[in-house]
Amino acid sequence: MPTMTYDAIVVGSGISGGWAAKELTEKGLRTIVLEAGRPIDPAVDYVEHVPPSGKRYRGLGNRKQVERYQPIQRHTGACDEWSSKFFVNDLDNPYSFPEDKPFYWIRGRQVGGRSIMWGRCVYRWSDLDFTANAREGYGVDWPLRYNDLAPWWSYVEKFVGIQGRRENLPQVPDGEFQAPWPLNAAEQKSRDILLTKFGGERVITNARLAVLTEDHDGRQKCHLCGHCARGCITLSYFSSINSTLPAARKTGRLTLRPFSVVHSVIYDPVKRRATGVRVIDANTKEMFDVNAKVIFLNASAMESTRILLNSATPEFPNGLGSSSGELGHNLMDHIMDGGATGTLPFAMDRREIGRRPDAIYVPRFRNVKTKHPDFLRGYGFEGRAYRPGWERGAEMPGFGASFKKSLSGDLGPWEMEFGGFGEMLPRHENYVELDPHLVDAWGIPALRVSCVYSENEKKMQEDMVVSATEMLEALGATNIRPFKEDNPPGLVIHETGTARMGRDPKTAVLNSHNQVWDAPNVFVTDGACMPSTANQNPSITYMALTARAVDYAHQLLNRREL
Amino acid sequence: MRRREVVQFLGAALALPFIPRGADAAIKFAQELHLRLGDVPFRTLNRGQQALVTTIAEMIIPETDTPGATSVKVPEFIDLILTERASDDEKAAFLAGLRDIDVRAAAMGSNRFIDLPAAKKVELLTTLDGSREDKAGAGLAFGRLKALTVYGYFTSQRVEQEILKLQMFFNGYQGNVPFTPAV
Repeated sequence: MPTMTYDAIVVGSGISGGWAAKELTEKGLRTIVLEAGRPIDPAVDYVEHVPPSGKRYRGLGNRKQVERYQPIQRHTGACDEWSSKFFVNDLDNPYSFPEDKPFYWIRGRQVGGRSIMWGRCVYRWSDLDFTANAREGYGVDWPLRYNDLAPWWSYVEKFVGIQGRRENLPQVPDGEFQAPWPLNAAEQKSRDILLTKFGGERVITNARLAVLTEDHDGRQKCHLCGHCARGCITLSYFSSINSTLPAARKTGRLTLRPFSVVHSVIYDPVKRRATGVRVIDANTKEMFDVNAKVIFLNASAMESTRILLNSATPEFPNGLGSSSGELGHNLMDHIMDGGATGTLPFAMDRREIGRRPDAIYVPRFRNVKTKHPDFLRGYGFEGRAYRPGWERGAEMPGFGASFKKSLSGDLGPWEMEFGGFGEMLPRHENYVELDPHLVDAWGIPALRVSCVYSENEKKMQEDMVVSATEMLEALGATNIRPFKEDNPPGLVIHETGTARMGRDPKTAVLNSHNQVWDAPNVFVTDGACMPSTANQNPSITYMALTARAVDYAHQLLNRREL
Repeated sequence: MRRREVVQFLGAALALPFIPRGADAAIKFAQELHLRLGDVPFRTLNRGQQALVTTIAEMIIPETDTPGATSVKVPEFIDLILTERASDDEKAAFLAGLRDIDVRAAAMGSNRFIDLPAAKKVELLTTLDGSREDKAGAGLAFGRLKALTVYGYFTSQRVEQEILKLQMFFNGYQGNVPFTPAV
């Protein structure tokens, strides 16, 4: 196959790859997006309006098939009977981990990547987050601050379309919001009570979501079907398929090539630049090269790093970008699975109509104004108040006609759930490397992952249980059920790090504009670049960093410095 | 009407003295019904187990002015789950639990649950409902049967459409709507 040449290459078509494609093409660069997986046809693949009766197992899932082919992916809730097709086949895409350090790597390989089934929560960071590493002596200092990124958050938020409520909380700055959905009756009352009882420290607000409440740029407002991870035929939630890739296509400068598994970056030691990437056609397994002036790696945090690790040269025997010794290191996720659920004593004469895609958020309140004695950093709570319908039947005593009638015509009392999402510290000893004995279905060396939560995260998780219980008690809830599960990292699907940004090439893989120190025309703008992970959901930050990096790359190209 | 009669016969609380009380007759009725409805044949539950599962499912969600569990083919759904989804261990535990239900029935004077008088059936199910968290035996089987019956019933197309009037999308979100139970 002849070598193809473009102005720019984007590896990956997910949430950050879509942004790279949009920005590069809109700046006039002929750009090829190389996507390892298949194309998606929304008319066929989006199934958000198929009810349980339309599925063979009514939504319980094809368990035996999933256990056979997706033994890792099955651990995430969205890998269900509707959406398991959006998650990888684990047999084709293996990786390894030590027996005592399991890591669940949840992946989507298709046009759109995981932006099809992402959680859609979008929160800005504050300087509380950007300065934490330097302040506390973990990892390296972020090479930028809130004011560096704020205009780029605004830029991407306006395009994405985000519903949210302005709260003026310094730890989660407000952004560019569409009108929020109202809180439901139980959530509103809970908000009012907690504001009073915790002196404004614990705030129930709307989850800030990349879902439209108003028509926006050719996309329709959300129709509240509540099943975003199955696709969205009205394009109401942000994904690269729904938004950035169509914008890139509109320029006439986009080439999107599915079934293109990138093996490595090709490096020219004379020019000290990358010249392109080596690709394997996923169907024919034929290998070919694509050349370009600038390369954006957006294959997802660990995949982008895997490509760099597989790009070893005599100059960089441990992989392109490895001269700092940090390539592959400082892997992070968030920690979740700590919190509590309880039964609320009010609003029994109220219900909700419509299924909001997500509901409430309690922004971080630990280590904001006062220092917690047991752990660094903090966590926020996601949650919702809901009234269970027939679903409560299995747990409800009784049977017969009155039981049936109750399930059909009545609702249970409001249940309120608070589930914590906490920050994981960057630690050199959490890492990925190439497994010398394992390759994927295309013969590309696979990763070996070694990652565990530290005591800091475990103590934070314990505190999630305590503070969630406190809030439920403050609400007068009964039947409070605390929960804490010891799931391995990865399952939050916020894996970040392994090619961190930094001010010093001796300690970081990327500079402050996401350029690989060792190869300045290679940019990494997905989760790999993060020196820390804060407690907020990370995707909107990847988007902002990508738009910022493309702008910088474009300036360098215009100055012929790449 | 025949369909309703079958359902009523299989529903223990509605068992009437002028309808044949043997399990074989019940199974025959049920099989005829299923054939007529074009059902997938049972692949895990044998005839006796079909009768037991059908009887209990219909007691959990009986035919009233709306369809019951049998009308929307809950027993077939349970068989599908046992055949294609349950692990071997789960299936074995469930089937052992069904046998245990009949053992409990024997202690109450009939060899099989389905042959118990209506009141005794209710009495035994009430006992089992209190032990549905058990890890084995009749309590476990009843707990799983109840969960699958509720799930299979409310996710059937007919119930989604006729009873739940399931809406897959909405014009807007309302979070503070007055609610009065329809019970």
